[in-house]
This record gives sequence, structure tokens and C-alpha cells, in this order.
Amino acid sequence: MAEPATDFTLDSAALLAAEEHEVSIVGRSPTYLAWRRLRRNYVALFSLVVFVLIVACCALAPVYAHRIAHTGPNEIHATELVRVNGKDRQVVGGGSYLDPKTNQFVVRGISVLGPTWWHADGRFVLGSDALGRDVAVRLLYGGLNSLKIGIGSALICSFIAIVLALIAGYFRGWADWIISRFFDLIWAFPVLLLAIALGSALQINGFHHFGINIKPGSLWIPLLVISYVLIPYIGRPLRGQILSLREKEFVEAAVGQGASPLRIMFSDLLPNVASTALVFFTLIIANNILTEAGLSYLGAGVQPPNPSWGTLIASGQDQIHTAPWLAIIPGIAIVLTVLSMNIFGDGLRDALDPRAKVRVEH
Amino acid sequence: MTGKGRWTWLLGVLAMAAGFSMMVAAYGAAGTKHQAATTKPIGTLRAVIDTIDYLDPQQAYTGQAWWAMWNVYETLLTYKHVDGPAGYKLVPGLAQSLPTVSRNGKVYKFKLRKGLKYSNGKPVKASDFKWAIKRGFLAQGQGVGFYTDIAGAEAYSKNPTPGGNIPGIIVNNKTRAITIKLVSPRGDFLTILALLFAAPVPGNTGPEIQNGSIPGTGPYAFSNYDPNRSFTMVRNKFFKRTRFIPRGTPNRIEVSLIGDADAATQKVTSGQADYSNAAIPPDRIADAKSKGHLVLRQTANTYYFWMNIREAPFNKLKVRQAVNMAIDRKAMQTLVWGGLGQATQNVLPPTYPSYKKLSLYPRNLTKAKQYINQAGANGAAVKVWTRNVTDAVTAATYYTNVLNSIGLNASLTILPRATYYTTIGNVNTHAQTGWARWLEDYPHPLDWFDVLLNGNRITDQDNNNYAWYKNKKTDKTIEQLKKQPLLTPAVNARWAAVEKQIMQQAPWAPWSNRVFPEFFTKQIGCIHIQRLYGIDFARLCRK
Amino acid sequence: MAPFVIRRLIGMVAVLFGVSVLVYVVFILVPGGDPAQRMAGKNPLPANILNIRKKWGFDKPFYVQYVRMMQKAGNGLIGKHGEYDILTSFQNRQNVVHEIKRGIPATFSLCIGAGFIWLLFGVLVGFFSAVTAGRWSDRLITTFALIGVSMPVAWLAVVLRYFLAEQPKKPIFPDGEYVPLTADPVQWAFHLLLPWFCLSVLFIGFYGRVLRSNMLDAMNEEYVRTAKAKGLTRRRVLLRHVLRNSLIPIVSLFGLDFAAVLGGGAILTETVFDLKGVGWYAAQSVGDLDLPPIMGVTLYGSFFIVVFSALVDFMYAFLDPRIRPT
Repeated sequence: MAEPATDFTLDSAALLAAEEHEVSIVGRSPTYLAWRRLRRNYVALFSLVVFVLIVACCALAPVYAHRIAHTGPNEIHATELVRVNGKDRQVVGGGSYLDPKTNQFVVRGISVLGPTWWHADGRFVLGSDALGRDVAVRLLYGGLNSLKIGIGSALICSFIAIVLALIAGYFRGWADWIISRFFDLIWAFPVLLLAIALGSALQINGFHHFGINIKPGSLWIPLLVISYVLIPYIGRPLRGQILSLREKEFVEAAVGQGASPLRIMFSDLLPNVASTALVFFTLIIANNILTEAGLSYLGAGVQPPNPSWGTLIASGQDQIHTAPWLAIIPGIAIVLTVLSMNIFGDGLRDALDPRAKVRVEH
Repeated sequence: MTGKGRWTWLLGVLAMAAGFSMMVAAYGAAGTKHQAATTKPIGTLRAVIDTIDYLDPQQAYTGQAWWAMWNVYETLLTYKHVDGPAGYKLVPGLAQSLPTVSRNGKVYKFKLRKGLKYSNGKPVKASDFKWAIKRGFLAQGQGVGFYTDIAGAEAYSKNPTPGGNIPGIIVNNKTRAITIKLVSPRGDFLTILALLFAAPVPGNTGPEIQNGSIPGTGPYAFSNYDPNRSFTMVRNKFFKRTRFIPRGTPNRIEVSLIGDADAATQKVTSGQADYSNAAIPPDRIADAKSKGHLVLRQTANTYYFWMNIREAPFNKLKVRQAVNMAIDRKAMQTLVWGGLGQATQNVLPPTYPSYKKLSLYPRNLTKAKQYINQAGANGAAVKVWTRNVTDAVTAATYYTNVLNSIGLNASLTILPRATYYTTIGNVNTHAQTGWARWLEDYPHPLDWFDVLLNGNRITDQDNNNYAWYKNKKTDKTIEQLKKQPLLTPAVNARWAAVEKQIMQQAPWAPWSNRVFPEFFTKQIGCIHIQRLYGIDFARLCRK
Repeated sequence: MAPFVIRRLIGMVAVLFGVSVLVYVVFILVPGGDPAQRMAGKNPLPANILNIRKKWGFDKPFYVQYVRMMQKAGNGLIGKHGEYDILTSFQNRQNVVHEIKRGIPATFSLCIGAGFIWLLFGVLVGFFSAVTAGRWSDRLITTFALIGVSMPVAWLAVVLRYFLAEQPKKPIFPDGEYVPLTADPVQWAFHLLLPWFCLSVLFIGFYGRVLRSNMLDAMNEEYVRTAKAKGLTRRRVLLRHVLRNSLIPIVSLFGLDFAAVLGGGAILTETVFDLKGVGWYAAQSVGDLDLPPIMGVTLYGSFFIVVFSALVDFMYAFLDPRIRPT
């Protein structure tokens, strides 16, 4: 380490790695070493905390809705009165009306209840939308749906990608050929177009083939669509890694000893790509939350009246001239969530393998 | 500028001023409210309308396309260019006068006006009318269903060929005579002839769709059609005005096609367009009113939720009545159109002479819940259908909420605009309930009861009777009334009785007669609105 | 070389075939999508629907219809006319090839401009954060890049449009829409500035991050150390050796991303800003569940992707002699 620190290598991970040269690492498990590196990365840990907090808040949406706001995400309170600071205010009021005397319409604007903060006993904390629904409740439920889709599709997508990559990498030959062509096929599709096409087609009657029954409007539709279209993004690089591992001596040795393919896949190959898969997993959660937002914005994701951050942006856009916060707040929620996951993912990558490069498509 | 040039220029200005004052005088004589002293010619009008299907008279079946085509393709009979209910009056268009009708109501005789020309300068022949009807069948046009009562049309529709004949239409190019024979009398036949589907097109027009390229007979002609984006209307050089068909004031109308109502409103408020007829989002009405002229057009329309009487739980009368009692129609006007609508419980809109206000279902949530309980429908799963247009989604969202509040278990399904009606009108969909609206094609009760609620006209595909409502008694009356050539007070009273019988069975939950906002910038004046087709180009001016 | 080209060509055709079959199958399963009913309209005669079915061949088995559809797409491409001979939309019977061509000027203007911006700024961001690694400037740039990749495009576009182009008093930018380059180059660029920015932000952040980590890796490589040991200047080492080698993966990324947006992938940006390009057309057609245009746009998009991935592989081989095209 003759070079001055200001030159090229001042990466936090590289620094940490350099530090380890002075500490005894003999006899330590890789997991322990990774954890040691991660522990020092306060920014990444902080991001993880932020992410967990957001997840916890959204998971508590039902509690908030029933205990504090006393409503559900889709309940309409337009004609109700809410007591704000001791004054009764209608949730959605005003509007034009037909004057019975002249039989002409009197044109008036409508007035929608704005944020009440803490002045209405927890009701309409962030105000109401144009239909008289509690925005704060919808934001939390929306987050819950977005996170379910983001995390769920990341799980499914990684799982399928790992299995396919293992099969392709282990058996090589025709299995590899078929799986690679499958990756090529999805890869060649314009991703968002494929996703909205699948999403909107499935939304109409759901999916009722091969013994799988999914109702239209179900969260499973965007969840599965997103997992499906992103399979090659994890599958391709993993397959490459596994293919090169397959040629390593220890794998050949295991094959020579007559170990079963399953055993080799899961005890020899998988552990060696686990860290890459884990990094991919965290980064793809972030990516999937963004994809969900795009899909729902185009009406092919979560179906109204059910909220998600994407649908909230889309419906908020209709009122952006009178209540811009309706579109802005869910966007900020997405940025915070995705940012925290991205930072944590970076930290994890640095900790697990300072060299791993990840390509995530947006 | 040379001396001579200056003189010419001055003369031009004078001529223009003279023209102006004449126009001003004309406006004054017409008795318009807008002060004419400061008006200028309109020049080019920049309009924004919702997307259209086609610009082909035999194919187009959207109000937006008709909005434009009404000024391009004239029909034998047409409607008066006036404000208010008088706009429903049928007047001669291409025909010299209103037709003579035989005593049995089956034979109609017309004569074309002399010297009529298309926008390409070619003469209009009597045979062009026949070709237009045949072309509708040949092209499988959307409006052919209206013309099957013409003798021989039914047979022609089975296997239409260009050489084939519809014997019920007899034309003579020399005498410009057109005779139409019907299989049975039909009370609404004149209004059907005034539909744009029956606009004559040159005999050499092929059956394939030709958007905006077919020459017309009206004051304007299409040019530069850019699908889904825009088109332009320019003056038809060969147009001669008549007592009933005036010239338009704009020299040019540039039309942008924008599907999103919010974006369309934004165009006018920001001054990028002069006019929009898109729905104004409820929260922007106040802003729109302060930034331009908001003129309300009262048209004949009914927005309703249909309940399929074949499908549980709506096969029970109590459930359908409960739904009618549970809807807060007044609140819905505010939520869906910011109040620009009138609550209704009728099938017919109030503009009809047959209209008699019904109040069968005053709002009563407790009773509605009881009814649901009595019908044993508590917790019944209901799929609410709607189409992917903002107002329809808003209305259906509210409706879903109402169904849930009276004890049903409702969820919402949103279909693309393009496939909505074919999907819910298909017997295999087994759609339970959902959103729908009906805008009149022509002002006659048959356009409502016969098309939407006559049990004899139920089909397995493309059914318009979304409630699958079939009732021997009402069906029989509708069939009887169909044969009445005139809407006398007695006939109107019978229509009102049919309506009441139907609403007692509650296949629908009607909720609104909407008024359509026509939104102009402050610079546009002399605004007149034709009830059926909207903005009247004949008198528009700039301030 | 020749076998490589031939193999890639066959592969491309196979992938396009697979893509078209996939789209076709997805849409055959859609209920209520009977095109005959859709064409017959609001008030049809039963005879009408039968006639349409027969005339358009909707009564044929699905594989015959598929072949027919592909034939029609080909006919449209070579400029044939006639309603039944070319690929037309079920919704408004517009010639699909024509419509895609109509969208190309807007899409290409958006993508070429944005592509230029994101490549330039992506490289600048990556380069500066890499050479100042660890300093505050690096931290700042990296943070911004991270925020950039964490933003939903639709949201960014909606918010920017509202604050910069739709304010009632003196908006800074024009409000959406595409002005043809030939009509007015200044307005063209002015109208596209916001969309360019929106489309680029994500990619700038992403490329900057990739380039930064590539460069940091390259700095530790043997050949860089050697070059430095030989006494080359820092600037020379950075530009000649580090940057050049780190740019190779960026080229491949750029090729694929650029192909995707050219192929109509910028759906969100085009939709929010009313740029009626190919992506917008795709979104509209999907909204209408209109199979022929969806098929057309998908094949068009996939075509760009397969061609550009072949080009990228080819360029890889050219730039990095260690890799042989396979």
C-alpha cells in the first residue's frame, strides 16, 4: 500500500478491506467478515433502519385506519362533517347546483378538506381526496401494497431466476440452451411494454389456467407480471457465474464422487452465488417498487379503488392544480423507500464482495 | 408603400370595416346578448375535443366525430342552428322541403335541392343517397341497425355486394327524387334520416374506411387528418348557404384530439386553445369559470347503473330497489361533475315531452339495508363494471362503496374504453351490475326504451339492454308505441306510463342528467350552442 | 466473422418470432376482445358481425390468423394498401405501420437528445466522482446519482411539468407537445428540454455509478499500476487507460438502453409530456387492448433491442480483443 490515500483507492469498502489486512481474519467465516464490514458502514445501516421503519409504518396501516382515523382505505366520507378546531367542515363541499327558481345552473367550485394535521382527532390528517377518502390512510395502505408487490416480486423473481440459473449452469447443454433462449426472449421485449400489456390483459378476467386462479384486481397480477419480466436481469448474470463455477475443480470432484445433482446445486453451487443473489435481491426490491409505480400510473398495476403509491400519483395528478400534495407525497414516499434500499444494497455489496457489479435495469 | 398601394390598402380596410359593421348589425338583429361593438372576425378557431373514432359518415358513431362532421356532411333533413330546445326541430337539409309521407306511414318522398355540389366540385346525385345507405351495409358500418326497416334492407344486410340492390330506395337522378319504402311504419324514421350515417357520399366512394377524405356538402371540409392527434376544417368552396344551413364564421378550425379532460382544460386556461368541450375536472371548475366562458349545454342524456335481472343478487326486486334507495344522487353530482348535473330517477331525460318526473326511491339507507336482509343478499359477492374514463371510474367507485355500505360485498372491475360495452353486452360475461350512460342518437323515446329496455331486442352479443330487462307488459307497450308516427300528448302519456312500470321493476338506478360544459377563452364571444351537436360555428366571434 | 453474423441473424429472427407468438397468445386469452364485435359497434345487426368475422378471417383457427397477421404486417412494411391486406388497428382501422412511422420523429427526437445528455453527463458524473473518490465532491455527486436512480419517472415528470410548465403565472417551459424539428428548431428543443431531462436523470445516475465503480476497479488493475510505474502523468493514465477501459461496459449498457427507448420504451415520459411518439402509441393501444398495434409496436421495439445487442457484441469484440464474438 504505497500509494497516497488521496489517489485512487479511497472507497469505503476498499478501506475496510485494507484495514482487515492488519486484523487477523484467519478462521473467520465469510459471513462474519461481511457483517464486520457492514457494521462499520453507518450510512447503509441507517438506510436499513429507514427502510424497516417505512415497512413497519405501512404494516401498521390497518391499526392506524381503525384506531386513529376510523375509516378504511376505500371508504367515502364526502357528505360527512368533520370537526376541525371546533368547527364542522364538510369533507367535500360546494359545487355547482341547479337553482330551482331560475332553472339555471349556478357554477361554483368544490372545496375539498385539506390537511387537518392533529386538529381533527386523527381524521384526515393529510386531508381528503376528491372523493372524500382519507389521504393518510390511503398513503399507508398504498405503501403496504407497493411494498408487498416490491418485496414479493423480488422474492419470486430471485427464486425463479436462481433455480433456472442453477439448472442451466449445472446441466449445461440443451437445458442451458433452452433457458438461455427463454432469457433472450424476455430480454428482447421492451420491458415496460410487456408489463403493461400483460398487466392490462390479465386485469380483465384474471388468470384461470393450469390450476391457478387469480381474480381480476388481485395484487398477484402486478406482482407476478413484474417478477416475470425481470427474471433475466438476475438470471443471466447468475447463470454466467454458475457456469464458470461448474468448471471449478471442487464441483467436478463432487460430480466425480457421484453426488446427486440436487446436492451439488444446493450445497456447492448455491452458497457460492448466494452473496451475489442477496445483493441483487435488495437492489431489485428498489427497482420493483419503481416498476410498480410506473405500471400503476399507466393503469396496468394495482387497480382502483385499491391504493398503491403508483395509483396515488396517477389520481393525484388529476388534482395537481388544486392539491399538488396529493401527487407529491406518494412520490416522496417512493423516493425514500427506494433510496434507502439502494444505499443498503450498495453497502451490502461492498461488504459481501467489493468487486461484484450489478446491473439493474430501470 | 406606393401611392397606389396605399389606396388599395385603405380601400381594403374600408371594405373590411363595412363588412364588419354589417356583421355587427346582423348580430344585433339576431338579438344576441354579447355586445357586438368590439367583436372581430374569428379567423382560426383552435378547438380541443376528445378522441374520435372515424371521420367517415357511414362509420363514425361518437359524439365527438359528429361534432365535427355535422359541419361537413349534410343530410336530407337536419336540425336548426339555434339555441335551446328549438334546436331539436327537423328542417330540410339537402332536401328541398320536408318529405311527403304516405298515409300508412310507409312511403317517404324527397326531392334534392338544385345545383348541390360536393366540396370537390362534383354534383350531388339522388343515387348518392342510396349509395350511402348501401355503403353502410357494405362497410359493416356501425349505424346500419337503424336502416333495416327499409324494404329489402334486411335481405341486403345478409350478403351485401356493391351491385346488389335495396329495392326500398328508389332514386331518379334526373328529377332528383328519392322515394323510401318501409316494411312497417316507424315513428322515428325522419330523425333516423337526419343521422350522419345517411349523409350522401359520391357514388365512387369505396366501402373501406376513408377518414376525412370523402367530400361533403356542408360549410366545411376536412384536411390534414392526423389520427389520434389532430385534424383541420377549412371552408368548402362549393358550399352555398340556405335558410337552415348557415356559413360558419371561422375561416379555419384547427382541432386537437386530447383524451385527458384535465389536459384539455389546461389547454384553454393557458390560452393554447380557444375552445374545449371536455368534462372539466370538478376541482378546476372555479378556476375555469374565472379564466374563460363556461357555457353549459343541456343535452338529452342519462347516466345510470344497470342491474342484470338474470344474475344474483340482482334477480331479486328487493335488492334492485335497495340499491336505488341507497344512492345519494345529489352527492354524486358533486363528486363526479362538481355539480354540473341533475339528480334523476327517470330513464328519459327531462328534455323530452314524454318526461314525467319520478321519485319512486327517496334515499333511505336503513330501509335499503332491511331490503337486502330480507332478500337474503347480505354479503353477496358483486362485481361492479366500469370503463376506464375518469368520470365513469369515479361514479363506479362511489357506487361500489354504496353497495358495500348496504351489506353487499362489491369490488370494482375497470375495462378499457374500447371494449367496455361489447364485454358487458355479451351474455357470457354474466356481468352483474355496472356503469353506463346513454346519449340520444336522435330525440325520440324509442331511442331509449326500444334500444335499451325492450326485452325483445336482447341479443347474446353486443346487447344494449345491459340489465337484460325483459317484461311482457312493457315489451308489448313498446312494440305498440313503435308504430305511432307522431308523438301526440296521448302517446307521450303512454310512454311516461311505460317508464314508471319499468322503474318500479328497477332494472336501472339512474342517477344523473349531466350538462356538458363548453369552455371558451375570454376572447371568444357570440357563443351559441346547438342542443344536439354543441358549439354553433355560424355566429362565433372574437372579442 | 461470417458465421457470427449469420448466427446472430437467425437468432434475431427466432427471437422476433418468439416475441410475436407471446404477444399473440397473451391477447387471444383476453375476454371481450372479439374484434368483430368491436368493429360492429354500438348497435349492430347479427348479420353484420358474421360478415365482419368472415371478411377479416376471425372465424379461422388461431394459427391461421397468426400467419395472416404476420403477412399483413409484412405487407404494411413494403407499402401495400387495401383494408384487408395490411395490418390495421381493430379500434380505428388505422394502418399500424403508418402510425408507428408517424410516432418516430417525436420518439427519435426525445431519445437521441436524451441519449446524448445522459451519456455525456453520466460519464462526467462517473469520472469526476471516481477521480475525487472520498472527497466531499464525490459524496455529493454520488448522493445525487443515488437520488436520481431512486425516482419514479412518472412522478418526476408530473411534478416537473406542474412546477415548471403549468404554473398559471409565466411558466418557464412550454407545456408538453412535440414541435417538429423542421417546423421550428428552437421551439423543438425548447419543448423537449423537460422530457429530455426527465428521461435522462435515471440513466445519468445509473451510468455515473457504474462508471465510478468500474474506474475504481480499473485503478487497482495491474496494467494501471504498470503505467504509473513507468512514470506516465496522472491525467494520461486516467484518460488513456482507466477511462477507456471502464467505458467499454458503458457502451454496452448504452446500446441496450438506447435501443429500448428508441423502440418505444420511454412510455412514461412520452405519456406525461404528450409527446405522441411510439411509446405513447403503445400505451394507447394497450389501453384499448388493440392487438394489431400492440403487435406492431412490440415487434418494432424488439427489433431495435436485438439489433443493438448484436451491434454491442460486435463492438465489444472490436474494442476488447480478448473477447471473440460468439
